[in-house]
Amino acid sequence: MAGIVPWGVVAGVAMVSAGLTQVQSVAMSLLVFAGSAQLAVLPLLIAKAPLWVMYATALAVNLRYVIYSAVLAPHFEHLSRPWRALLSYITVDGIFALFVGKYRPDEARAHKHWFYLGGSLVMWTGWQLASMVGIFAGALIPQSWSLEFAATLALIAVLVPLLHDRAIVCAALAAGGVALAASKWPLNLGLLAAIAVGVVVGLAVARTARLKERSG
Amino acid sequence: MDSWTGWALIVGAALVSFFSRAVFVLPGSHMRLPATAERALRYAPAAALMAIVVPDLAAAHGALSISIENPRLIAGLVAFGLAAGTRSILLTIAGGMAALILLR
Repeated sequence: MAGIVPWGVVAGVAMVSAGLTQVQSVAMSLLVFAGSAQLAVLPLLIAKAPLWVMYATALAVNLRYVIYSAVLAPHFEHLSRPWRALLSYITVDGIFALFVGKYRPDEARAHKHWFYLGGSLVMWTGWQLASMVGIFAGALIPQSWSLEFAATLALIAVLVPLLHDRAIVCAALAAGGVALAASKWPLNLGLLAAIAVGVVVGLAVARTARLKERSG
Repeated sequence: MDSWTGWALIVGAALVSFFSRAVFVLPGSHMRLPATAERALRYAPAAALMAIVVPDLAAAHGALSISIENPRLIAGLVAFGLAAGTRSILLTIAGGMAALILLR
């Protein structure tokens, strides 16, 4: 929870300094509600990348939610469709981890979705308020402070905890290398190539590790 | 940037974000994610974030610069260290900004 405030403020400032109006920034914060995807697409907006490259980048950053969705589905399958839509929209990393640690999928606790909704609402409210502060106070901060760099630092802060095994570290390093080498490619396609190479390298490293385990 | 591009980005990113979160929860059927797909999906977010961060740190006045002369690169490395050591978003951002300001 403590992290969501600086993270939200930085995202708010970053949206306005990328050229979105305050109304658009508020709409983005409410509709997208995915900080790392928001911060990932903003440099592409500044660089005038095509829309489909921005969508593909947002999707790549959001693919972790596809895994969460698969894990959460059996927990929520008895709920009505509006409930399932609401719980999908409001999913965030921290509450997902807390929820999965606390409840088993087959556990018939009638109120476990209330726990999920309550925790997520706290995060949602903190995030939205922090974003609003960034959106409306960000305009007052002088350009010379290089606050746009804070957006990159915020991405580093969410990237590092993801690097929890060797295959993921290798995937990230490969992606970073390719992104650097291909940074002059047209339409920011280097970014998509970097993600693809990263995934392939991650799978290959994990496979090698599994084979070694089996033979050793 | 015209306002149309901004709205197209917002609506598209909103749909992408909602459907990534809803893809298995909303149908409510007994669809399950195949193990191979789940393994592949594990690597994409870290790869995407790294692919955004690295060229951004190496950028100096429109060119790439991998040297200790580049304050963004050093400040970024400080931020990586802080993120790994403290897991605090606030300390990572504050420390990285402090390093950038001191180095310039």
